[in-house]
Amino acid sequence: MSDFSGWIGKPTGAHTVTVERGPVSNFATALTDESAIYHDASAARDAGFDNIPAPPTYPFAMQHWGTFDEDQPDDPTGGVNPMAEVLGELMSSGGLMLHGEQEFEFHKPLVVGQRLHHEGEVKDIYSKESKGKTMTFMVVEDRYTDDDGDPVVTSTMNLIHRA
Amino acid sequence: MPESKLNFDEVNEGDEAPVLTHELTRTDLVRYAGASGDFNPMHTDEVAAKEAGLPSVFGHGMFSAGLLARAITDWTGVGSVKRYKVRFTKQTWPGEKLTSSVTVTAKRKEEGENLLDLECSLANEGGEVKVAGEATVTAA
Repeated sequence: MSDFSGWIGKPTGAHTVTVERGPVSNFATALTDESAIYHDASAARDAGFDNIPAPPTYPFAMQHWGTFDEDQPDDPTGGVNPMAEVLGELMSSGGLMLHGEQEFEFHKPLVVGQRLHHEGEVKDIYSKESKGKTMTFMVVEDRYTDDDGDPVVTSTMNLIHRA
Repeated sequence: MPESKLNFDEVNEGDEAPVLTHELTRTDLVRYAGASGDFNPMHTDEVAAKEAGLPSVFGHGMFSAGLLARAITDWTGVGSVKRYKVRFTKQTWPGEKLTSSVTVTAKRKEEGENLLDLECSLANEGGEVKVAGEATVTAA
């Protein structure tokens, strides 16, 4: 079996992400959440937010929105993305890729209008044998800080390859 | 500070949030694909899903996670979530009636904040758990 431990600690990417109102409200609607706080800026302010907040699982989707070309930092991966490399090697011999776990830790409210600075990193890669199958786990941490450098949210994904 | 709907002194270990139920539809999956940017055809393209040997399209795990988060914030308040962690255990299928379960497991104070630890899960009518996890929320 391949030794992937050399990837631990490597960057998976960096982005600048703008949190926009339309995508945030639309995301809440897609989750059947009609709370006025997600849809009405004055209701959000009345509830104590600076602006409309994002639902707890929005960080998983927010790189699809508001990553504008002119804002993007240099790519820290040097063009070699550990996720593509590791997942590509695992899948080349077949098997199944699953999203095993997902965690979000909020350090301050995630609200519309913020510009966030993202850094991704491979936190761990490990394998286990289970019922005659090899399970390979890849843990990727995505950290987002605001323009003041304060942490806003940390998103941690655990992917499982089973073969 | 954001909305905390719960009063710390009035909540006890073992208290449960009101149950949220939702029957999963294909429209949910298409809408969530658009809102999240996850266009894996196994969630939106019935023809491709059947060609891959599946009975139909199946739900995004993150849709289930988001629905379960709504069951939490409906009770504890939008913006009250400090931490939310889920494990994906089974796929969801259109037509399934999904039901939430959210229970307080601990009350604690940390750096002047009133915190509640919750255990949560989302299951179908047969009790098959789709997503299970835990959250920490603030209380007033």
